[in-house]
Amino acid sequence: MQVRKVPRLRWNTFPYLAVLPAAALIILLMVLPIGETIYRSFTNWDGLTSSFIGLQNFRLIFQNPVSNQVFVNSVIFLISVPLILAASVVTAVLIYERVLGWRVFRFLFFIPAVLSPVIVGALFSTFFLPSGLIDKMLSPVGLSTFPWLSSPWPARAVVILALVWTSFGFGMVVVLSSMATIDPALYDAAHIDGASWWTRLTRITLPMISGALQFLSVINVIYTFTSLFSFVYVITAGGPGFATTTVDYFTYVTSFENGQFGYGAALAVLLFLIVLVLTIVQVKLFPRREVQGS
Amino acid sequence: MRTAHVRRTLVFIALCLIGVTTVYPLIFMALNSMRTSQQYEVSPYGLPTHYSLDNFRALFDQVPFLSSLLHSIIVVVPAVILATLFSALAAFVFTKVPIKLGNALFWLMLTIMFMPGIVVLIPLYVEIGHLGLASNFTPAILVYTAINIPYGTYLLRSIFRAIPDSVVEAARVDGAHWWTIFARVIMPMGRAGVMTVGILTFLNIWNELFISIVLLHTSSTEMMTPTLAQLSGRYSNNIPVIMTGLLLGSIPTLLVYFVTARVFIRGMLQGAIR
Repeated sequence: MQVRKVPRLRWNTFPYLAVLPAAALIILLMVLPIGETIYRSFTNWDGLTSSFIGLQNFRLIFQNPVSNQVFVNSVIFLISVPLILAASVVTAVLIYERVLGWRVFRFLFFIPAVLSPVIVGALFSTFFLPSGLIDKMLSPVGLSTFPWLSSPWPARAVVILALVWTSFGFGMVVVLSSMATIDPALYDAAHIDGASWWTRLTRITLPMISGALQFLSVINVIYTFTSLFSFVYVITAGGPGFATTTVDYFTYVTSFENGQFGYGAALAVLLFLIVLVLTIVQVKLFPRREVQGS
Repeated sequence: MRTAHVRRTLVFIALCLIGVTTVYPLIFMALNSMRTSQQYEVSPYGLPTHYSLDNFRALFDQVPFLSSLLHSIIVVVPAVILATLFSALAAFVFTKVPIKLGNALFWLMLTIMFMPGIVVLIPLYVEIGHLGLASNFTPAILVYTAINIPYGTYLLRSIFRAIPDSVVEAARVDGAHWWTIFARVIMPMGRAGVMTVGILTFLNIWNELFISIVLLHTSSTEMMTPTLAQLSGRYSNNIPVIMTGLLLGSIPTLLVYFVTARVFIRGMLQGAIR
């Protein structure tokens, strides 16, 4: 205990210098811009001139059917979250069986996660072109050309599929890292008691990885709201109509293509608030069963 | 025993099927990069009847592929190094050298960790334009660095927390300066975790489209992802050229993944991701 006192003879500048770069960059390039975005959301800023218009932007957002549609779309895309969780758990449980070549499979399943959403999006949009790969595969069933990307729900399905394909590798690794902390004795005991494979999955594995699932669902809900931009940009450009336009994509178009920075700032503020509320709700909603070590 | 054998066979088959969905797209890109668009229309799968490099030639002649690769390297490499280094320094302080306001700074990072990039990009785009730095790489490097610091610090904090305080105290007793402890004790001991965070940061920045399209939108500064994103529109009736571009575009991240997979996967499994 005496050891602790030894180094503290003079005021230590190191820790302050060490956090300085991180703190300076965050304050200059994140905190101040957030402040400016909040301020500009009450103006009609076009990048050059700006005058205070109160809550006008927010009123417009709530009255405009297009911006309402866009928020609904982001909610619709949340369908991807349970799909990603399911795919992550299924692949992790299969890998955990340690059959021949499991390390190779684990390596291969992460490949989609290292590809850019731009590449994944372009691949999927190619596959789903009229008479593309998918149509050719389905032609024996009689669907020779289907307008996947020009009908609202099929277009959304393609975006969701691309999203699930990119995201399950990361989910699998998170679930595996959580499963690694489960005591194998639990499985042995269940085995001796004659518990079926399904019982072991639902009574041991799933409860033990609930912390990982909570983490994954928070991350993926946020991702759905804030980061579908690349997929939408490449696969559908928001169409048909506004059927696949998400809030982040709409904010981009409003600000950077139409130059309505004040209106865009208001959309961005709403998006930030939604993400904040969703994070808090999800953290409160899930049962706190912090079994694993992290 | 027999049912166990059947189950393991079924699991193996299921793994193979999932593996096909993650690998086949790469094979699809590779095979079609060597086909002509006429051949593609006839049959997009199977081995090409004859091999040609025309698509690669078309891509290099008509698309600024190599220059956008260069621009991505110019921006991403310094941003990854700076973000990882600054995050590591902050995480070291948060775990081993408590300071006043340290907690406040960490909570600030947690709050903005999940913040949508567009919230800061709107004012940054305008202000950077006003400063006359619209086609300059430096602001982009700094923005990427800043945006990746909160998550990096959060991850590295849990990695450094696992290093016993007694190690740091022993080095202090030996008279080592804090900078030396950071460089010679903390970084080597947390090496796998630091590398994992560095690779994650690299993948994040390299693969990202939104910030690059907003901040570096002139043709003399365009990065890889915007170039790739425009292929589909430009070659809508020549799929093999698009596939060639996507194939070449996926090589940098695949290469990093293949080379580092051993450390990277182990790092993530040991909890370096949350």
